[in-house]
Amino acid sequence: MDFLFSSFAAALRLIGSLSQDVVDAVRTSLAVSAGATVFAALLGIPIGFFVGHVDFPAKRIVVTLLNTLMALPTVVVGLLVYGFLSRQGPLGVLGLLFTPTAIVIGGVLLAAPIVANYALTAVRGADPRIFPTALTLGAGRLQAFGILMGEIRFGMLAAVIAGFGRVVSEVGVAMMLGGNIRGYTRTMTTAIALETSKGEFAFGMALGIVLMSVALCVNLFLNLLQRR
Amino acid sequence: MRAIYRLNSIRKRYGSMVVLDIEDLSIYEHRLYTLIGANGAGKSTLLHILAFLSPPTAGEIHYDGKRVDWDHDSMEARRRRVTLLHQAPYLFGGTVHANVAFGLKARGIHGDDQRRIVETALETVGLQGFRERRARELSGGEAQRVAMARALALEPEVLLLDEPLANIDRETTGLLETVIASLPAQGTTVVMTTHDPQHPDRLNGESIFLERGRVVPPNRPVPRQTSCCTKGGSLP
Repeated sequence: MDFLFSSFAAALRLIGSLSQDVVDAVRTSLAVSAGATVFAALLGIPIGFFVGHVDFPAKRIVVTLLNTLMALPTVVVGLLVYGFLSRQGPLGVLGLLFTPTAIVIGGVLLAAPIVANYALTAVRGADPRIFPTALTLGAGRLQAFGILMGEIRFGMLAAVIAGFGRVVSEVGVAMMLGGNIRGYTRTMTTAIALETSKGEFAFGMALGIVLMSVALCVNLFLNLLQRR
Repeated sequence: MRAIYRLNSIRKRYGSMVVLDIEDLSIYEHRLYTLIGANGAGKSTLLHILAFLSPPTAGEIHYDGKRVDWDHDSMEARRRRVTLLHQAPYLFGGTVHANVAFGLKARGIHGDDQRRIVETALETVGLQGFRERRARELSGGEAQRVAMARALALEPEVLLLDEPLANIDRETTGLLETVIASLPAQGTTVVMTTHDPQHPDRLNGESIFLERGRVVPPNRPVPRQTSCCTKGGSLP
C-alpha cells in the first residue's frame, strides 16, 4: 500500500508543479477528443435522428449495425485507418499518419456510432405529440424538427458527452495512428501506457487523476445544464 | 352556405386494417360539429386528416374549394388555417406565455401584439395571471386550458378539438363550453369529438356519427358511449 500512497503523493506533486509533459499530454488529449467529438456529433446526430424519426425498409438492419459498431474495438479502427493513411494506403499521399488529425479521424469512427445510438434512443423516447403539435400550431417541418431537438436536448447532450468519453479514454487508436510522439501526439492514455511500462507509475497516476477529473467536469457540466 | 371541407371516398388504412372509410362528407363553414363515436370509431384519425397532419390512404379532400395536394409545399400554409387541439395536449418546456405565443411567433407576430393576444387568450380560458408560470408545473386541467388558449390565440378558420373537455372540472367545463359555442359566430368552424351525448344540444351544434370508420345516419343507434342523441345534422 505504501507504494500506492507514495505514487499518489508524487502524482499530486507532478500535477501541482504543472510538469510540461503532463500539460502537453492533457492539451493533446483534449484537443483531439474535442475535434473528434464535434465531427462525430455532426455525423452521428443526423444519422440517429433520421433512423429514429423516419420509417424505411432496412431500418432494423441499420439499427443492428449501429449497435454493433458501438462495440467496435479501438485497435480494429486503428488498424483500418492505419491501412488507409499509411504510405502504401489510398490516402497515404496526405501524410496524415502519426499526426493529431489521424487520431481525430479514428476518434470520429469510434464516437459516431455511440452518438448516433444515443441520439436514436433520445428520438425514440421523445413524446410523439411534439412534432404534430408544432405542425398544427403553424411551424414548418424544419421548425418542427428544431422544436423536437430542443425538447430532447438533454438526450442529445448525453449523446455528445458519451462520444467524448469514448474518445478521451481510448488508447488503441491514439497509439496506432498518433504514434505516441512526445509533445505532439502523446495523449493522456498513451502516456499512461508508456510511462507505466517504463516504471514511472507516479507519472501515469498523475495523468490518470487528470483524466478522471476531466470526466468529472464533463458530467458536472451536464448536471448543471439539466438543472436549468 | 359554403363547404369548408369536402371529403370524397376517403379511406385510411393501417396495414390491412381500414380505420376510416368515408364516402362523402361536407363540413360547412361557421358551424359547430360534434363528432360522436365509440373508441376506435375513427374520430381522432379523421381529425388528423382534417388538420392536414396525416394524409388519407385514398380519396380526395377539398379545402375551401381547392383540392388538397398532400405533397405540395402549400401544406404548411394550409395547416396554418386549421388548428388541432389534441385530447392529451403537449405543452412545450418553458412558460405558459411561450406556449401560447408559439403559433403567433411562427406567424411573425411579436412584441406588444403578441403579449396582448396571449393575455386575451388566457383570460378567455380563465387563466389570467398564469403567463409566467412554468407550463410543466400546471395541473392536468390547467394544461388543457393553456392548450385551448394556445389554439384560440391563432384565431384559426377551423378549430378541431379532440375531447377538449375530458379532463376538466365542472366549473371550467361550463366556461369552455361557452367559449366553444361562441366560436362559429366569430367566424371559426369547429369540429369536436365528444363522448357526452348532451354536447350537441348544449353547444348548439350538429352531429356526425362515426361507427367503425364510417359515417352513419343520425337515427341509427351507435354502440356503447354514443348510444343516443343527435340534433339535426348536416350529413350528406
